[in-house]
Amino acid sequence: MQPYAYPLAVLLFPGGLFALVLGLALKGVDRRLAARLQRRVGPPLAQPFFDLVKLAFKRTMVPDIASQPVFLGAPLVGAATMMLAAAMVPIAGVYTPDPALGNLLVLLYLLAIPAVVLMIAGSASGSPFGAIGFSREMALMLAYEGPLVLVVAAIAVRVGHGQGGWASFSLTEIVAYQARHGAFLFDPVMWPALLAFLAFYPANLGIIPFDIPEAETEVLEGPLLEYSGPALGLFKVMSALKSVVVLSLGIALFFPTAPSGVAGLAVQLCKLLLLMLVGVTLVRVSCGRMRIDQAFRFFLKWPLALSLASLVAVVVI
Amino acid sequence: MTRFIQTLTDQAKRLATRSPWIYRINAGSCNGCDVECATTACIPRYDVERLGCQYCGSPRHADIVLITGPLTARIKDDVLRVFAEIPEPKVTVAVGVCPISGGIFRESYAVHAPMNQFIPIDVNVPGCPPRPQAIIEGVAEAIAIWRARL
Amino acid sequence: MNILKLFYRNLTQGPSTVAFPFGPAWTPPKLRGRIRFDLPACTGCRACEQVCAPGAIRFDKTPEGLRFMMWHNSCVFCGLCNFYCPTDAIVQSDDWHLAHPTARMYEMAIRELIPYTACSACGTKTLASAPNPVGVEPPFSAEEIEQFRHLCPGCRKKALEERTPNHAPTE
Repeated sequence: MQPYAYPLAVLLFPGGLFALVLGLALKGVDRRLAARLQRRVGPPLAQPFFDLVKLAFKRTMVPDIASQPVFLGAPLVGAATMMLAAAMVPIAGVYTPDPALGNLLVLLYLLAIPAVVLMIAGSASGSPFGAIGFSREMALMLAYEGPLVLVVAAIAVRVGHGQGGWASFSLTEIVAYQARHGAFLFDPVMWPALLAFLAFYPANLGIIPFDIPEAETEVLEGPLLEYSGPALGLFKVMSALKSVVVLSLGIALFFPTAPSGVAGLAVQLCKLLLLMLVGVTLVRVSCGRMRIDQAFRFFLKWPLALSLASLVAVVVI
Repeated sequence: MTRFIQTLTDQAKRLATRSPWIYRINAGSCNGCDVECATTACIPRYDVERLGCQYCGSPRHADIVLITGPLTARIKDDVLRVFAEIPEPKVTVAVGVCPISGGIFRESYAVHAPMNQFIPIDVNVPGCPPRPQAIIEGVAEAIAIWRARL
Repeated sequence: MNILKLFYRNLTQGPSTVAFPFGPAWTPPKLRGRIRFDLPACTGCRACEQVCAPGAIRFDKTPEGLRFMMWHNSCVFCGLCNFYCPTDAIVQSDDWHLAHPTARMYEMAIRELIPYTACSACGTKTLASAPNPVGVEPPFSAEEIEQFRHLCPGCRKKALEERTPNHAPTE
């Protein structure tokens, strides 16, 4: 691999700029679609870009009681992490990450960082609403990380068995395995895991029904309460990048079948759009917000059972 | 080069004014104007999200502040505190006659009307309460003022 | 799966948003909006000032006459002034375009003056206001209103008695 390939992958494609533009565009489509489903006209498709430009013009205020370096450093860490994570997810037929980058276990850890950053931000701001958001974020993270790890384990074991080993956590190998043996989307053993993964989307992306930590009507956007201007913009960047990472991770894990070259990129975009429509927009406009205890119980019941079922089935077969 | 940067900034400002986030402060209102504000925000008929508006829960995220109510003596300090939390550049819209002149509560010992002796108010939307269309017009006026301030 | 039916309906029927900020807005026919004041019709009875709850209407006696002032930024658009006005000198139009920048705050007022005049019969200083039409049979004609405008209250009473001899008090 060439020496400039890493920075290029992290900063331009598929991480960094490409993922950011894609994430913001997806957010715009999502807002527009949600508006249409509610019989509204909705904002222009470029609205998330306008928001970001607007936030760049605003002043950042730091509360007196906040710890300034942590308060201002948290969004930076979050956005940087997600840029790195975006470079780790393979796009079938278009982009294959370096083996050192494309490791599912590392990605799992990176995916936990936005939630951790939000917790740190919430507690560093010194606001009681931030503290409530912090505790809710932590409870929610504990709830959804378990099923996610089991889903990943089921896939890793499946791929590992297929290659005669025990488990494979390389994303490249997972994509390659599905290219040979057919996508996991059409594998009945994996269906419970897929359902569990779909439940993980709204929780990780912080949308209804699991936007409990950032519920603006209850805790006034929780950890983000004290942020303004460019710092808030960085959080928006982080969530846009995170949506791309998580959505394309789902595609890489369950349905990476695609032609190579430009056509592969187009297919990837279509899949992203479809997955966002089903996994995010439809869910968010048809549900109300859960309470944190309801969400906790939900995750420890259905997604956990489903992902466990998949794992057991994979191990036994 | 400087001219290029100037045009770029102007373009960016033009884009930025398409994303006004709205925050509501209730300064002791009777809730009539708040209901109209909620109507403007929530029902598909008026859909302010078309203009890029978004109601935000935190004063730190706000660009345009809608103030309702006559600023009662009890809530005055809190309103001034919340108002100071809103980052510049901001534009204030007084919704209803109460914040503008005190309306029906004028000359009461319990209200500090008019409000603009404490808070710089940029746009007035008279009415008791104003209809949603009038509030949208007021927000449009506020966006024009905001553009000059960015 | 009721919600899916709902989504289908919403998507097929299209948005129900009105065109307003980019197009004309619908206005209900009886909307109570901006006040219009018709100075020649005002009798100067000050009933509107009495019933105005927020005190948006004010009459001041000045050396030039009776000054009428009405401020939209205090008005609650209740319509009582319109209801109690005997001559419909004060009416509410359906114009609701009242939002304005603070710089134009004090332009949102109506300032009119009912001037003093000399009574055409006895020469005393009196207000040139329209006569009160309440209980007058048959109603005033336009010429009569102009004629009564230049009479003092005493002379108006006399002129009214002459005008309707049948209704005049008899011994």
